[in-house]
Amino acid sequence: MKPNSNELKIQKTLLNYKVGISGSGYIRYGAAMYFYNLGILSDEMLEIYRRCCKFDNEDPIDLARFEQISNLKINL
Amino acid sequence: MDNAKNLKFPPKGWDRSGLPGWTYHSSALLDLEIEIFKTHWQVACHISDIPNIGDFKTFDLCGERAIILRDTNFEIKAFHNICRHRGSRLVTNDQGTCKNALICPFHGWVYNLDGTLRGASQPKSFPPLDKNQFSLRPVEYEIWHGFVFVRFKKGPQPSVKELLNKYEREASGYKMSEQIPTDGFWTETSPVNWKSIRDVDNEGYHVAMAHPALQDLYGSNYYGDSYEDGVSRSEGKFTASKGRHWGVRNYKKFSKPHKDLPMESNQTWVYYGIFPNSVIAITPETSLFYQEFPVSTDESIIRSATYRYPNEDRQQKAARYLASRIDRETVVEDKQLTIWSNESMLSDAFDGFYLSDLEYGVKTYHDHLRAILPIYNITETPKESEIKELNSSLIKSKR
Repeated sequence: MKPNSNELKIQKTLLNYKVGISGSGYIRYGAAMYFYNLGILSDEMLEIYRRCCKFDNEDPIDLARFEQISNLKINL
Repeated sequence: MDNAKNLKFPPKGWDRSGLPGWTYHSSALLDLEIEIFKTHWQVACHISDIPNIGDFKTFDLCGERAIILRDTNFEIKAFHNICRHRGSRLVTNDQGTCKNALICPFHGWVYNLDGTLRGASQPKSFPPLDKNQFSLRPVEYEIWHGFVFVRFKKGPQPSVKELLNKYEREASGYKMSEQIPTDGFWTETSPVNWKSIRDVDNEGYHVAMAHPALQDLYGSNYYGDSYEDGVSRSEGKFTASKGRHWGVRNYKKFSKPHKDLPMESNQTWVYYGIFPNSVIAITPETSLFYQEFPVSTDESIIRSATYRYPNEDRQQKAARYLASRIDRETVVEDKQLTIWSNESMLSDAFDGFYLSDLEYGVKTYHDHLRAILPIYNITETPKESEIKELNSSLIKSKR
């Protein structure tokens, strides 16, 4: 899938949506799936975002660090 | 109320008896009726309920469930609210915003706002999934003057535009597509068969006795067309009196002409009935829809929402408030009438309706039902186990 630069920018913003805002867990997970499809987010990180999606206050990056997952962030 | 002068004369000798009492309490018949609801247009919401990208409104009807949403191209879309994985609801709230995607709360499948599958959770546990093959199933929809209609299955009705075409000129004047929500959606459960609600709503003969406020507003100037080709129109032109009822007196005082409407429309409440269960009601201040759905043979849900002009002034706001007061009173009064009518049909003493010429709309509405399900013509209560088969054989014998 060839990324559209505008969409890429939007999805990056959504992936980094502020932790703590109501509904933000779903927003981050939806964006994570976008980057997974581009091949720039790992299976492990996609699963971290899924596990965090019902916990708006949970920072997926913190959880990934705690679980010692490598390649935490998207590689653009 | 003497509105005989306003009748479109019914034919002499018409059958005044209404539907047989058993049809209001038969589970086997209700199974057949539910197909009518699924195959006919239903008002789901208004475009102003979902003004921004990602906004959605859900609509449940007789086991079906739809999501109406605004996609990233700002277009309205309608889908079944069913995840293609295990059938879960994708959105669980009545209304809200999906900022980025629709995410199933069961396992986390992700859908784009255009309904295509963005991806399954734990993707490597599946073979490659085609995003179109696993996209959300679309629901047929149509927008008529801002109202979003959906239809769960193809049916006998033409497009909504064609169905309501004879009212197009009048409806256009109200600019309903520019209106915005007032106080959200209102739903209420009523302990009656859905047809009892429609029977009361399809005639104005009861207004003088049952609805003091409506009578004061337009009683002697009420006019109701019978049901023809799936639609009906009725109207109440304001009477010249000042109004004895507090709300009506002040409503008549505050209701003021809308610049885009002809004068007579500014003094009128108009109702479009849409078979089988919807009404769009228009006042100079608002448009609203209401509808009823069966839950069981003796329980129904009534659902409604009201819309207003975005730039109303204080006087129009006051008039809108007063109109809603009149409407609220009417709803409470009608609810009681439907209960009394419906419960009588369980009695051995109930011997059918004997309709007035002023209730010809009830008869023509029943004719629409009879045309689809000829079983309504059977006066003696059939065995529940035989209703479906009997109806099928009656359809075959008509051909």
